[in-house]
Amino acid sequence: MAFHWLPDDNLAGPSFIDRARLAPDDDDFDFDFPVRDDFAPAVLPQAVAEETSLQRLVRHWMNERHAPDILPGQEALLGSMLDHVRKQVSTVAVLLGSVVGRILAGGVGWTLGVSDDVQLLRADPDSSEDEHFRIMLVQTEVERVKFVIRSYIRTRLHKIEKYARYISATPAMHERLSKAELEHAQRYARLVEYHFDQCVLQSLPPEQRSLEDNMAFMPPMVPEPDRLRPVFAHALEKCPPVHLPDGSPMEMEKGQISLTPYYVVEQLLARGEVELV
Amino acid sequence: MALPPSLRANITPAELELIASEQLVEIIPLVAMERTAFISGAYGPLRPPTKCKIPIWMATNLKLKKKCHIVPPDWLNVEFLQERLARETSEPDFSELPFRFSEVAKVLLDVAPDDIPNPDKVRSLLKDIREARQAKSREGLAKLDHSELRLPNLCAMEINEIRPFFVRAMSVLTQLVREPRQG
Repeated sequence: MAFHWLPDDNLAGPSFIDRARLAPDDDDFDFDFPVRDDFAPAVLPQAVAEETSLQRLVRHWMNERHAPDILPGQEALLGSMLDHVRKQVSTVAVLLGSVVGRILAGGVGWTLGVSDDVQLLRADPDSSEDEHFRIMLVQTEVERVKFVIRSYIRTRLHKIEKYARYISATPAMHERLSKAELEHAQRYARLVEYHFDQCVLQSLPPEQRSLEDNMAFMPPMVPEPDRLRPVFAHALEKCPPVHLPDGSPMEMEKGQISLTPYYVVEQLLARGEVELV
Repeated sequence: MALPPSLRANITPAELELIASEQLVEIIPLVAMERTAFISGAYGPLRPPTKCKIPIWMATNLKLKKKCHIVPPDWLNVEFLQERLARETSEPDFSELPFRFSEVAKVLLDVAPDDIPNPDKVRSLLKDIREARQAKSREGLAKLDHSELRLPNLCAMEINEIRPFFVRAMSVLTQLVREPRQG
């Protein structure tokens, strides 16, 4: 059981079930989540839907998957999503505790030494089937979110390894990566160079040992992100004009979808005015 | 641990389905459930037989356990799709459809055919619409050049389908334009 994940403030307050029950009506009851304010309030379902942090994560995930270049890392967002996942896992632990508690009720001891929460929940006469559903749904969602987070990180990892030598040679790329990512890129680049050197290069004449030759009509030895690769861009709002490769300006209307080289929409993407689809 | 090669070039339909399943759908619950906080927001309380809006993944989950009926969205019925098909076959442009309509339609038809009136007809209409639109996007390839191609009303799954070919074709065109300047 994951009870040690429970932060103190959660333990101090009334139990999860109690809060749900005592919540005024159906409006958003405060769950004391750190990123609470990104939730669209339930009171105004018709209002312009605010982007929740999960939707933001999905958008960045898709952008990262489609963009040929490495996009700025969304560390703060990832951190808050991971916090959220942790909170949900501890909620499940509490709910599970209540179910297990009820099964064990009447048994000898319940000495997990957890909290009054579990005790409270154990006394709860609620049908356990209802709770099973909530546990199952909360867990399902946690798995879905974990999948997105993993896929996002793995996509970045793939690009970092592919362009490791370019990244360590280009300071402009450094600020887009997190500290751990940058470290990995540099270590990976060193490792690859060492490996090439050990296997082949050290047995070659010195003038042929370079890993940075630029031969005419040959692809470069340090692979760079191909900013000319076309992407499908979907305008989230009306965008300022950008220049197309043929020199003509393009102004994207809200909702417009265009296939165009990546560098054309690079700035719009960085400002969040378009998303890649 | 990096992304597996099979996922590097394109998004898979299953991933698109995962994204589409975050959308909300109306259900008629058959079980009661308190309001519960999820990562994407708080949903509930479920009180049969009051309608409630929850994400599609949650609805399919409950539906598979026979704990709810799904109310199909207003575009997923024979009349609407018939009208769209008529437009699709008579007009040169793509008609307007929800961006993730094919994913949502597939999920709902798979798990809740009994909640959608006349599911077989709906299925065959969706297939006809898909074919009509596919033919149009193939024609659109003729308009491709090296700088931009507008694709109004194209949907997520269709974009995903044409992506590999269109991206490659445009890359080749870009190279053809670029080469003389370099030389």
